[in-house]
Amino acid sequence: MASAVDIQHLLRRTEFVARPARVAELTPLTLAQAVDNVLDFTPNGTIQVPAALQVHDPANGWKQHDQSIAWWIGNMVNLPRPMQEKMTLFWHGHFTSSRESIYRVDLMMRQNQLYRDLALGNFLTLTQRMAIEPVMLVYLSNANNRKGSPNQNFARELMELFTLGVGNYTEDDVVAAARAWTGHNADWPAYEYRFVASRHDTGNKTFFGTTKNWDGPDIINEILRDNPAKRLIAARYITKKLWSFFAYPGGPTSVINELADVFLANNLELRPLLRALLTHPEFYSTAARQGLVRTPVEYAVAIGVHTGFPTADMGMSWLGDRMGQELFNPPNVAGWKPNAAWLNTSALSARAQLARSVTWALRRNDGFGFLNSMTVDAAIDHVATYFGITSLSAPTRAALASAQTAERSAQRWASWWAPTNLLTMMMLTPEFHMA
Amino acid sequence: MLDHDISARAAKRLLSAPDLADDRPGPDGWTRRRFLQAVGLGVAGGAALGTLGDDLLSGLTGDVREAFAGTPVGPNDGILVTIMLYGGNDGLNTVVPYTDGAYYTQRGAVTIPAASVLPLNGQLGLHPNLPYTKSLYDAGQLAIVQGVGYPNPDLSHFTSMAIWMNARFGNVSPTSGWIGRWLDGMPASMADTAAATIDSSVALHLLGEQRRAVAVSPWGDMFGSGTSATDTRMYSGMRAMAASGAGRGQWHDMFASTLRTQLEVARDVAPVFVDRLPDNGLARRLTLAARLINANIGMRVVDVSLDGFDDHEGQLPSHAALMAELDAGLRAFYDTLLPQWRDRVTLMTMSEFGRTSYSNESGGTDHGTASDLFVIGPKVRGGLYGQQPSLAGLGRWDRMAHHVDFRSVIGTVVDSWMGGGGSTIVNGSFENLGLFTTGPGGGAQPDPGGAVVLPPSTPSGFVALTPTRVLDTRDGTGGRSTPFGPQESWKFPVAGRFGIPVDAVAVAVNLTAVGASAATYVTVHPFAETRPLSSNLNPVPGQATPNLVVARVGMDGAVMLYNNSGTVHLVADVVGYFIPGSDVGLLALDPARLLDTRDGTGDRLGALGAGESIDVQVSGMGGVPDDVQAVVLNVTATEPTAASYLTVWPTGDGRPVASSVNMNPGQTVPNLIIARVGEDGRVSVYNNAGSTHVVIDVLGAFTPGATARYVPVSPARALDTREGVGTTRTRLGSAHLPLGLAGRCGVPATDVSAVLLNVTVVSPSTGTYVTVFPSGRNRPLASNLNATAGQVVPNMVLARLGPDGGATFYNNSGDLDLVADVMGYFTA
Repeated sequence: MASAVDIQHLLRRTEFVARPARVAELTPLTLAQAVDNVLDFTPNGTIQVPAALQVHDPANGWKQHDQSIAWWIGNMVNLPRPMQEKMTLFWHGHFTSSRESIYRVDLMMRQNQLYRDLALGNFLTLTQRMAIEPVMLVYLSNANNRKGSPNQNFARELMELFTLGVGNYTEDDVVAAARAWTGHNADWPAYEYRFVASRHDTGNKTFFGTTKNWDGPDIINEILRDNPAKRLIAARYITKKLWSFFAYPGGPTSVINELADVFLANNLELRPLLRALLTHPEFYSTAARQGLVRTPVEYAVAIGVHTGFPTADMGMSWLGDRMGQELFNPPNVAGWKPNAAWLNTSALSARAQLARSVTWALRRNDGFGFLNSMTVDAAIDHVATYFGITSLSAPTRAALASAQTAERSAQRWASWWAPTNLLTMMMLTPEFHMA
Repeated sequence: MLDHDISARAAKRLLSAPDLADDRPGPDGWTRRRFLQAVGLGVAGGAALGTLGDDLLSGLTGDVREAFAGTPVGPNDGILVTIMLYGGNDGLNTVVPYTDGAYYTQRGAVTIPAASVLPLNGQLGLHPNLPYTKSLYDAGQLAIVQGVGYPNPDLSHFTSMAIWMNARFGNVSPTSGWIGRWLDGMPASMADTAAATIDSSVALHLLGEQRRAVAVSPWGDMFGSGTSATDTRMYSGMRAMAASGAGRGQWHDMFASTLRTQLEVARDVAPVFVDRLPDNGLARRLTLAARLINANIGMRVVDVSLDGFDDHEGQLPSHAALMAELDAGLRAFYDTLLPQWRDRVTLMTMSEFGRTSYSNESGGTDHGTASDLFVIGPKVRGGLYGQQPSLAGLGRWDRMAHHVDFRSVIGTVVDSWMGGGGSTIVNGSFENLGLFTTGPGGGAQPDPGGAVVLPPSTPSGFVALTPTRVLDTRDGTGGRSTPFGPQESWKFPVAGRFGIPVDAVAVAVNLTAVGASAATYVTVHPFAETRPLSSNLNPVPGQATPNLVVARVGMDGAVMLYNNSGTVHLVADVVGYFIPGSDVGLLALDPARLLDTRDGTGDRLGALGAGESIDVQVSGMGGVPDDVQAVVLNVTATEPTAASYLTVWPTGDGRPVASSVNMNPGQTVPNLIIARVGEDGRVSVYNNAGSTHVVIDVLGAFTPGATARYVPVSPARALDTREGVGTTRTRLGSAHLPLGLAGRCGVPATDVSAVLLNVTVVSPSTGTYVTVFPSGRNRPLASNLNATAGQVVPNMVLARLGPDGGATFYNNSGDLDLVADVMGYFTA
C-alpha cells in the first residue's frame, strides 16, 4: 500500500490535481500498480477533437483558438486519466509549434491529436510523424526547404532541441541534415505534407561522418535508431527533459542515465520509461516534491477541478498569455521554461485576476457565506481542503488568519468580504501554486 | 536560426489594438471591460463598508507597512522611454528627402509635397504633422539617426521585430531582449520596478534571461491597485505570506515574495491613474509614462507602443494620423513630466523596418529595410546622424541600404545613458554614435565615433582677420610640435581660440603642408563627423603645398586634421571665420584681373623680386565696392625663379608669418585665398625668394551690403570622373564638363548664389589648367588649377552657379580625372 502523501504527489504531477476520489482509489494499491493505473489511458476512450475545431474557419480564427484552449484544458480537468493530456502538453512544449506561424486551428489541433494519440507511444515513431505534420513543416520552414536553397531551421532544431542538445552535432551536420530534408514540403493552401522529388537534393551528404544520399527521415533514423552513440545521447536528453517536466528541473545524472537505460532497453517506448520514472525513489524526494511551480495551465486546471468553474469562461487565451502560457502559442521553439519563468509581477497579476473572477462566481447567491459562522481556523481549513491543499505552511496560515480576523473585526455585522477575500487569498497562496 | 515564434508572439501582442483585446470574451462570459468595471465597483463597495481601515492594518501579522518596493532613481541614473512603432514606419515620409527627385518619382502619390514638409535643412524635412517634434529638433534635443537597419534584412514583421527586440550581434536565438538583459544586470532589489511597459503583456525586448519588465496596463487594472479598506487588508495578508520562509522550498518562497512585489508595484503605480488621462492612444500611454517617472518609484525604462504602421494601402491619411499621434504623444509626455526629471529622460523611437521607396498600386508601400529613428532629450546631441539611404538606381523591388546598424544605436544608448555594458548587451563591439552631450549625471560623454552628421548650420556672414598663424607643427604653435604620422587624425579645437568666437560655424584657413616624407593627402573635416573622401591638400616631398580651407567647425568647436601617408608638418593661417551674427555677406563677382605683373595690369610691370612687396588696389576695382572688408582672390605665381612663397595681407598691417602661395622654380601655382582688405582698399603682396610673376583675379567681395550668407555643409563629393559620380566614368579630355550643383550634396535647389568647392585635378596626361565658371556663361581666361603631368593638385574654387544651378569645368589640354567636393554654399 502506497502512502497517501506519495499518491497525492504522483497525481498532482501526472493528473494536474490530486482528486480526492483518485487518491482514495490508488492509495490501497502498490506504488507500481498506482503508476500503471495512471499510465493506462483506456478509460479515456477515443478522444475526438470537436468538429468545430477540425475545420478551417478564417472568419472565426480567434474564436476557434479560444475554444481550442478551453477544450483542451477541459480535457485536463475532466478526463478520467488526465496523464494523457499531461503528456500531450509535454509534447506540445517539446515538439512545439505556434499558431502564429500558420493561423490554422484545424491544423494545430491535428498536431495536438497526434501528440495525444502517441502520448506514451514510441519516441522514434512520434518523431517521424511530428516531422511531417503540416504545422511543423510551416513552423520550422521545411515547407520551403528546397534543393539549391536549403533551409536549416528544422534540421537545426531537430538536433538542438528535439533530440540531442547543443554540442552533440556540428554545423556541417546541420547543413547535411537540411539538404536531406529538402523537398519534404507542404502543399499550398491545403498544407498537406508532400514530398516533391524535384526539390529534393539527391546528392551525397556527410552526416555524422557517413557520406551517402541521405533523405530526411534517414536523419531521424540515424539519430534515434542506427547510430548507437547518438541514440544514447538522445535517450538521455529526452529522459532528462521528461524528468524536468515531471520531477524537478535537471536531476541527478545517475538517475537520468539509469532511466535512459530503461528507455533504450525498451526500444524508445515511452510508457516503460514513464513507469520507471514515476516509481523511482528520487521522484518522491523532497527536491521533487518542492521542485515545480504550477504552470498557468496547471493552475487553471486546478481551479477547474476544485471549483467547477467552466474552462470556457476562464479566458485562458488572453489571460493565459498574460500569465505567460498561452497554449498553441509558446514563447519560442524551445517551449516554456519552468518555475522562475512564471514568477513575475505581471504574470502573477494575471493569476490574481483569474482568482478574483472565480471568487465572484463562487460568491454568487452568497456562496460560502457559511464560512462566517465558522471559527477563523475552521474556515481556513475548510477553504484549504476545498482547493485541495492538504497542509498549509505556518506563514501562510498566519497570514490568512490575521487577514480573516481583521476582516471579520472590521464589521459589526457578518462581513460579506471575509469569505470573499479568503477564497481569493487561498487561490493565491504559494501552496496552491506548487505543482 | 531564427525563432519565428517568439517574434510572432510579440508581434501579435503589440500589433493587435488593446481596445479589441478588452472586448474579447473573458472569465464567466464577460468581456474583459465589463469584468474590470465590476472589479472597480466591488472596490468602491468595499470602501463604503470598511470603517476601521488603518487602525487594523497595524495589527496585522507580518504587515510592516514597509516603504513601497520602488527604490528611487539615483542622481546619476538615466531614464529611457522607448516608443515602439509597430508595423514598419515609413522613414521616407517621416524624414522626407524633399529635394530628391527619385523620391517623388518612385513614390508617385504616396509622397509629402516639398512645400508642406517642416524643413530641417535643404534636403530633409519632417512630416507636416510633427511640429512639436520639429521644435525639439530646433532646440537641439532631437537626434535623427538615418538609414538604420541591419545586414541581410528580413521582410517579415515577426522576424525583423525579433531581431530588433533581441538586438544581439551574431546568429543567436532571440530568447531575450536588450532591455531584459539590461534588467538582468540590475541588483535584484531594484530590478522589479526598474522597467515597465504600458501594455497588458511584456514584449521580447523587455524579457531578460532572468528578469522581465512589469506590465502596467494602460487601463489601470493591475491586481493590487484597489484602495478600499477591505482590499488593503487582503493585500496586507497576501504580502504577509512572504513574511518568513515557509520551509517548503525555494519556489514556494519565491512565489510568495513575487506576489508581495506584485502588490507593491500595483500600489506604486496606482496613483498615476488617479488624475484624468487622455482617453486613448499614445498620448495616454506617454502621459502614464511621465507620471510613472514623476512618481520616482525606480522606473528606469518605460516602454510604450503605437501600432498600425503597416500601410500597404491608403497610406497617406493613416500615416499622417499616426504622425500626429506621435507628435501629440511627445507633447503630452513633456507637458506631464515634472521639470526636475526633464534632463534625466531620453526617449527613442524604434520600428522593425522602413518601407519600400516605391509605392504600390494600392496607394501604400510594402515592407522595406532601412529607416530612421528619433532619440530625444535635453542631453541628446541634436542633429542628423547616419545617412539618408540613396534612392538612386533603386528598382521596383529593391530595398534601401542601411548605413547604421541599429545595435549601434542601442549600444550607444545603453553605454551613454543607461550605465554602460552596451557591448555585453548587444553581444559585440559597436560604434558609439555620440548621441549624448553628457550622461544623465552630467559627466562628459565619449567622443562620437564618427557616424555623426551635424545639424545644418545657420547661414552666416564673414568676419575677416589679419592672417594669423594658429598651427605650426614645426614649432609647437597651436599645441603640437610633431609632424602628422600616417593615417593620423588629430582634433584641433578652433572655436573659442585665436580670436574665433565659440559660435563660429566655419573658419577660413590657409593650410600649408611642409616637409612631406611621401606623397600623401590631407583632409580637414568637422570633428565628430565621418572623415569624407575629399582631400584638401595633396603634398609631395620637397614642396610646400598651401590651399585655402573653409572648414566647417564640428562638435566641441573643433576640426579634424587627417594625414594619409608618411609624415608631414602642417601650418595653418586663419584668415577669417563665418558666424551667424555677422552681416557681412558675399558679393560674387565676375572674375576681374586686379594684377598681372607680366603685362602691367594693376600698375605693376615686371616680376617681384626677392623680399619685395607691392600694394594692389582692390576696392573700386572689378565691381568691388568701397566698403569691402575682405575679398576672395585667385592668386597665381608664375615663372618663379626659385623656391619661394607669396604672402597676401591687409595693407597697413605688419606682414604676417603666413604663406598664400608656395611655388618651385618654373611652376605656375594658383591658390584661392580670402584676404582682408587694408588701408585705402588695398592688399599687399610679398615674394620671399628669387623672382616671380604674380597674377591676381578677384572673384568676390565680402561687404555689409551683400545678402549672400555662407552655409557650411559636411563635405560631400559632387564630381568624381574616376567613379562616375556626377558624370560618366571617363577621364575628361580637352573639353567642357557641365555639373549640376543645386539640389545636390547639401546645396539647396534654389536661392544659391555660389558653391564653395574643393576641386582636385588627378593625374593629367600633360601640363594643363582647369577653369570653373557659371553654366551658360562664356569661359573666362582665368585658371583655377594648374597641374603638370601626373600631379594631384587640389584648389578651393568659388563656383558661381548659372541659371540652371550648375557650373562648367574646362580642361585645357590632354586628359585628366577631376574630383569636386562641396564644402558649403552661399545663399542668394
